[in-house]
Amino acid sequence: MADTPNVNVSLSDTPIQKPMGPFTSFAIHPSKVHFETQKKEETVVLFLRQHMIVNVPWASLAIVMAFVPTILPLIWKMTGIPVSLPVGYIIAGTAWWYIATFGFALAKFLGWFINIYIVTNERIVDIDFYFLLYKHFSAANLVKIQDISYTTKGIFGSFLNYGNVTIETAGEAPHLVFEQVPNPECVVETIRSLMEKHSHNL
Amino acid sequence: MTPSAINSYSWLSLKLITLLGIAVYAVFAVVMVKQERSMAHVLEEGFEPILRMLTYIHCALTVVLFILALIII
Repeated sequence: MADTPNVNVSLSDTPIQKPMGPFTSFAIHPSKVHFETQKKEETVVLFLRQHMIVNVPWASLAIVMAFVPTILPLIWKMTGIPVSLPVGYIIAGTAWWYIATFGFALAKFLGWFINIYIVTNERIVDIDFYFLLYKHFSAANLVKIQDISYTTKGIFGSFLNYGNVTIETAGEAPHLVFEQVPNPECVVETIRSLMEKHSHNL
Repeated sequence: MTPSAINSYSWLSLKLITLLGIAVYAVFAVVMVKQERSMAHVLEEGFEPILRMLTYIHCALTVVLFILALIII
């Protein structure tokens, strides 16, 4: 997979910054990424979203929805039920269906796009938006991390190399979970390396 | 009430329900625009203008649909 490189993350102070794409779900030292509450001296080491595969179900549904106005009249004709709607309703209904399909796909894409996990040289950050209305921002300093582990589940998880990364912390938030992120092993190793580097600097 | 009056009231009710449905959907479209703005405030990564444009297009299409529905149904 192009977005799940199996590489060692450089933790040098002057890393090479990589450009981001709109479908990026795994980026090492991404360029032009800034988040709320980011400090001046804080640099983004890892930028993560859920693996692209999580978008397949809703994208498939959106494609099916796009064909409904074409298929539905044919099915209606086959049933032979005599129903006559004014032309205005048919036009408005069809237009609404296409707009709703576009809206559904856009909302789902936004839901994926704005749920992000960030690992910086100082902390880990989890930003979640639930159904476009509720924002949840949680962060844990590297020094407060007690344990970190990952799990990959199922055929797809193993084959496409994505899984959950669980981070146990000593802070107020008991733990953070990076759900279905690409290359979880690399994420764990990176955070461990950062923790070691951070503890040497203290 | 005559059958024709009942019929016309039925169509008027259907029209009002349809317009109300589109209006509710328009609120959802506005929420999406607001959400994108909120997201752009939380995270900057360079693709906010494209997403903003898409949410505005979606919102504009909904408004056009409401006006269209007012005229043609």
